[in-house]
Amino acid sequence: MSVEPAVLNAPEVHHCSKCGACLHVCPVYLQKMEEGAGPRAKVQLTRHYTERSLPTSEYLNNLVNCCLMCGNCTAACPSGVQHQSLFMRMRSYMTTDHGEGWHHKVIYHFLSHEQQLRLASRFARLGRNHMLKYLSREFKIGNIPARRLPEWNQQPFREQTPEEPLAEADSRGTILYFTGCGTNYIYDQVGHALCHILKIMGFRVEIPESQVCCGLPLFIHGNLKKAANNITTNVKLFNREDIVAIVTDCATCGSALHREYSNVLKELGLATEAAEKMSTRVRDIGEFILTNYALLEPHLNPETNRQKVTYHMPCHLRNGQGITTEVEELLKRLPHVDYARAVDYDHCCGGGGTFFYDHPETSHQIVSEKIKNARATGADLWVTGCPGCSINLSGNLEETDTISVEHILLLIDRALQK
Amino acid sequence: MIGEGGYQQSMNTLIKKKFHSIVGDDHFRDRPEDLISYSYDAFTVEAAPDLVLLPVSTTQISEILKLASEHRIPVTARGAGSSICGAPVPIHGGIVLSMTMMNKILETNTADRYCIVEPGVINGDLQVELAKTGFFYPPDPGSMAFSTIGGNLAQNAGGPRCLKYGVTSDYVLGMEVVLASGEVIRFGSRNVKDVTGYRLSGLFCGSEGTLGIVTEITLKVLPQPEAYRTVLAVFNNLDDSAATVSDIIGAGILPAALELLDKVLINVVEDANNIGLPRGAEGLLLIEVDGSEEQVEKELALITGKARNNNAVDIQQARTPAEREALWRARRSLYSCMARLKPNCIVEDATVPASKLPEMIRGIRAIINKYGLLAGISAHAGDGNMHPLISCDMRDQEEMERVDKAIEEIFKLAMACNGTLSGEHGIGIAKRKYLSMSIDEPTLNFMHTLKHAVDPHGILNPGKAI
Repeated sequence: MSVEPAVLNAPEVHHCSKCGACLHVCPVYLQKMEEGAGPRAKVQLTRHYTERSLPTSEYLNNLVNCCLMCGNCTAACPSGVQHQSLFMRMRSYMTTDHGEGWHHKVIYHFLSHEQQLRLASRFARLGRNHMLKYLSREFKIGNIPARRLPEWNQQPFREQTPEEPLAEADSRGTILYFTGCGTNYIYDQVGHALCHILKIMGFRVEIPESQVCCGLPLFIHGNLKKAANNITTNVKLFNREDIVAIVTDCATCGSALHREYSNVLKELGLATEAAEKMSTRVRDIGEFILTNYALLEPHLNPETNRQKVTYHMPCHLRNGQGITTEVEELLKRLPHVDYARAVDYDHCCGGGGTFFYDHPETSHQIVSEKIKNARATGADLWVTGCPGCSINLSGNLEETDTISVEHILLLIDRALQK
Repeated sequence: MIGEGGYQQSMNTLIKKKFHSIVGDDHFRDRPEDLISYSYDAFTVEAAPDLVLLPVSTTQISEILKLASEHRIPVTARGAGSSICGAPVPIHGGIVLSMTMMNKILETNTADRYCIVEPGVINGDLQVELAKTGFFYPPDPGSMAFSTIGGNLAQNAGGPRCLKYGVTSDYVLGMEVVLASGEVIRFGSRNVKDVTGYRLSGLFCGSEGTLGIVTEITLKVLPQPEAYRTVLAVFNNLDDSAATVSDIIGAGILPAALELLDKVLINVVEDANNIGLPRGAEGLLLIEVDGSEEQVEKELALITGKARNNNAVDIQQARTPAEREALWRARRSLYSCMARLKPNCIVEDATVPASKLPEMIRGIRAIINKYGLLAGISAHAGDGNMHPLISCDMRDQEEMERVDKAIEEIFKLAMACNGTLSGEHGIGIAKRKYLSMSIDEPTLNFMHTLKHAVDPHGILNPGKAI
């Protein structure tokens, strides 16, 4: 069960000056164009709920949960309100008041029990392939047609790699790789590309075997306690002095490890020192490669087939880790890339954890705009650095689309001389 | 049931159904959560409406107002709700008419230099659209990234570059307005020169939705200037910086912006932005000129001369667009820097003739000190538009009493300087009690006569503006 003191402690609500600066940056508000959909109303409704001038209701629960947790509001807030922490707490209260749907319960259960998740992924793989034969073409999971969902890995990525670290003779040091569920269960080729690239750059890659889901899908939906075990396990494994960096290929996991762990622990009244220490070493793989580009450059084959590429910036990279221009900069440097920026390259894709499932219409409107503008660039490849965004962007493309979605690591890996 | 003020007290289900049939499900909101969501702007007073409607057409609005008139239901128009004087807060209940879904740019015509927009268009979005063809719309309120043109018009919004270019009302060529009766009127045209009939746009700008609901606006737009020069002048004495402003304006130079910051603000801005502002300085002027290359060079030389004559200890010029942007970002961050110090931040905007600036700044500083407030002084100094920023906590009653007293004294001081209550934020609920300081009785009566003539039942945003 969620944390449950008598009254929601929400000091943030008194710091909101109600100026409205959060409205025009909120992807949900921009779709719905009504106050209740925006961050300011969520803060004010939370205030009324806390002060007991508004009773709880299913409708309130819906309003509070109709949020991508993208962090744009926090980034734009003149008064420094930490919306994500506040909403996380409010969501846990809503769960206490109204419970959660069985499908959410199932997801949260698996994400907090890695062993079972591993097993479930095998069934899911079979299930997906089997079920697709029987489902109509129109059947959708949230806003995504079932046929456009990615296939699950034959075997989880972490079981495909040797337990021994990938060593190099002239090692420039050890990198711990936090693989995330996206790579582990769905996009194993991204994980292989990451190991290959870092190895060529001279690093020794170590993949702690007993790592678990970063926990972000749990805590942003208010399941703080369930997330606490995941956080503690990961911090224990990754908080090491003898390493160069902890890398992630997932912007969402990165933001959890980089920023949110200590926030969640603080919310729960637990010690944050180890998480804070660990967070200083967390690096997004795109940014890490750019910073160490000199190590990669000699290995890139200038003869590689050129591609016109556009980019989607994940919210969890910009707002969650403060990485703004780095990945675009990297794309511009790659010898086989013609980079074309989409006008809304830095807008949210509308995926937002389970948002695409819970609010399919709004999510679809948001992603459709993205797709329109990505097509307009004329690019044939749409790269990003987050499996969640990949699933949503790719899942909403048409069968006839010539543009396809890919992790930036696969693009880089193709240019390595083999 | 008709209650205080002659308004319908609670809306019965039957009337609600009638409104529902005008706009339909997607544009009708009456749950408590929605009513709370429309109970506030950035001012302190809050009040929930009985009903929220989000119309998408003039026809719908006309039908809504006919019905509201018939049943004496107050109607309060609302844009982004970013006003800081309570203008869109429905203090008599009734309907909040949210204009956010009427947000189309209907036409931009650079050959004839105008554009036509619906009221819900965001100022910043219009700027982006106009910039594609090398044009701009000058009024630039601090909220421009999220406030609507309709809201800007209702408050007759200004901003830093209004010193040179004028405020919202200087750019409104024409409007479509739905009157309280539901009748639709259109006035003005697409012509910059137009003396056909009364110039009603001047009347509706700043009327805070008390005279009619604006449904379409024709705006004058300008070509972007060819060149900019941006400088920062540093002073060890606040009076010297104020004197520099008076000298510049007095010499007939009209910069695109002339912004003043006092020591408190210099330091909080530097804490947050870390761009190398001189922490020891007592006063800072951010000056921007725009125009042709020759013109900006000439004006820049004159301005730096005036600053040096008034003992400026340092004058720094932004050398790159990035440096210019950093200075403006710092200026725009004033509010947020002060808002972070305490839960709330009140910005006043009493305005005085530019020559009274030194006197006004000294006076405001004395008042702030007298009441022991945490406050900084900024000003769109070129047009005497003062912006004292007061950090406070609404929950601290004792502090708020001091804030109230200080604000009243600032207004008295402004009046003694031939000033006015509000330069660009509007009256709303916030300054209504001070109106008599600025407007005499016959004049206020004349305004009420006008209001009564167009809105005999007083249903349009009652309790605001006048």
